[in-house]
Amino acid sequence: MVEPVKTPPVNRDRESGIWRNYLHLIPMVVVAVAFVGLWELVFRLQIRPPYLLPSPSTVARALYDLWISGALPRAIAATLVRLGVGFLISLVLGAILAFLSVHFTTFGKGIQPYILGLQTFPSIAWVPLTLIWFGFSETGLLFVTIVGSLFAVTASFADALRTVPPVYLKAARNMGSDGMDLILRVTVPAALPHLLTAAKVGWSFAWRSLIGAEIIFATVGLGFVLNEGAAYLLLSQVIGVMIVILVIGVVVDRGFFSRTEEWTRRRRGLIPSR
Amino acid sequence: MKGAALKLVMVGKRFKGDTEPTEALRDINLQIGEGEFVTIVGPSGCGKSTLLNIVAGLEEPTTGWVEMDGHRVHGPGADRIVVFQDGAVFPWLDVWGNISFGLRVAGVRRSEREARVDEYIRMVQLENFPHARVHELSGGMKQRVALARALVLRPRVLLMDEPFAALDVQTREEMQSVVQDLWLRSGTTTLFVTHDVREAAVLGGRIVVLSQRPGTVSAVLTNNAPRPRTLENPEVVEQIRRSNEILKAEVQWSNQSKRPL
Repeated sequence: MVEPVKTPPVNRDRESGIWRNYLHLIPMVVVAVAFVGLWELVFRLQIRPPYLLPSPSTVARALYDLWISGALPRAIAATLVRLGVGFLISLVLGAILAFLSVHFTTFGKGIQPYILGLQTFPSIAWVPLTLIWFGFSETGLLFVTIVGSLFAVTASFADALRTVPPVYLKAARNMGSDGMDLILRVTVPAALPHLLTAAKVGWSFAWRSLIGAEIIFATVGLGFVLNEGAAYLLLSQVIGVMIVILVIGVVVDRGFFSRTEEWTRRRRGLIPSR
Repeated sequence: MKGAALKLVMVGKRFKGDTEPTEALRDINLQIGEGEFVTIVGPSGCGKSTLLNIVAGLEEPTTGWVEMDGHRVHGPGADRIVVFQDGAVFPWLDVWGNISFGLRVAGVRRSEREARVDEYIRMVQLENFPHARVHELSGGMKQRVALARALVLRPRVLLMDEPFAALDVQTREEMQSVVQDLWLRSGTTTLFVTHDVREAAVLGGRIVVLSQRPGTVSAVLTNNAPRPRTLENPEVVEQIRRSNEILKAEVQWSNQSKRPL
């Protein structure tokens, strides 16, 4: 007879308040508080002059002022728009290249070594060429973001596509699916958990490349504000922007990628339900 | 037997091996009548799965050809649906989504699709779990989904490639009776490949015994035991004994002939 199904347990914590959902964040907050405490302590010991090591409160003040003046929101918006556009282009191009190199094995064998080599190529090393080709422009910043992440995206997308069990493709072809239909209905959903991991890898490459390029040649954006702080020896601004960059990284990674990844894996039963 | 629905003519298959080519199948001739249930049994590595893939059009034969209703078969088609050993049930879809997959590909209208999925989900007794995800299903339930997903397309021929080999004995016997019931109700022409002689005898109206590699037809046994059958049925027991004899003789003969001089 038909056996009973193990139904995924519902989240019973829901009724006991939303606080429970944030319990797992406590260790992270403790580390942050301890770090700020240690910083404050070092500051008070006067090991370094305040202009070289500002206090946490000075940094907070600098961030607050930057926010009020509108410089920080503008910088964040400019940087995130570049990141969004650049990363999206890199995802699309990477997906096409990955698909071609998996589907046409000879083509794959031809480009694979270069993709892997360019993946480890430091994105900063693209900057001189970029400046000559595109000047101090938005296009230049986008170009560095794209070339800085494209090869990592391509390599990990290709790996993801290779994880698709051939029997799924066989079964789908047998039921009449082929061409684009097969790709969209079977290959992509079958590889989805790995594709998401690949996108996460790609985004971190894009993020690092963009900030690096912004420090060198942007006139608006987080990298620019960071560099400007250093030029005027405003270390509270430098450290403040560094914290903003860190926070954006954590939020995008934890809040978006890790969450979607986990959700997909849980639906597939790749990790146990909570 | 009514007219032959499926005809295999001198089908042979060679693979280009790493060192030397291997011959998987040689000169297979078979005629399968409309509504017949034929089981193919043979030792592992005799090329029986290859034979099924050729009928499905997922592999091309090196020699010979396959005919459906008098027309030669080229490539896969929804008129010949395979149930694979591990089911190949898609983990990104739920039970309902899996069963309706082929109908969506075929572009069947939504209302008709729903009615048909509804009919077949009941037939395999999974109507209480339409939204269960694949990882929540037991091995037997996965094969029920695979069966419904195949039958809902109303194929001319149902091809089963050792579908229950990975199941425990109890579930396997349960699934055998499910398949037998479905066949008695639908009358779908079925070609069922297995290495299990007992399974071949309990299900097959005819039992095709294949030899060791290269696979050739050693014997075709007619099995008229009344249905629904169980493994205890004396006629089934007799068929198992006869099939086993042929297989043993075949293995001994081929071992002798392969012995170095």
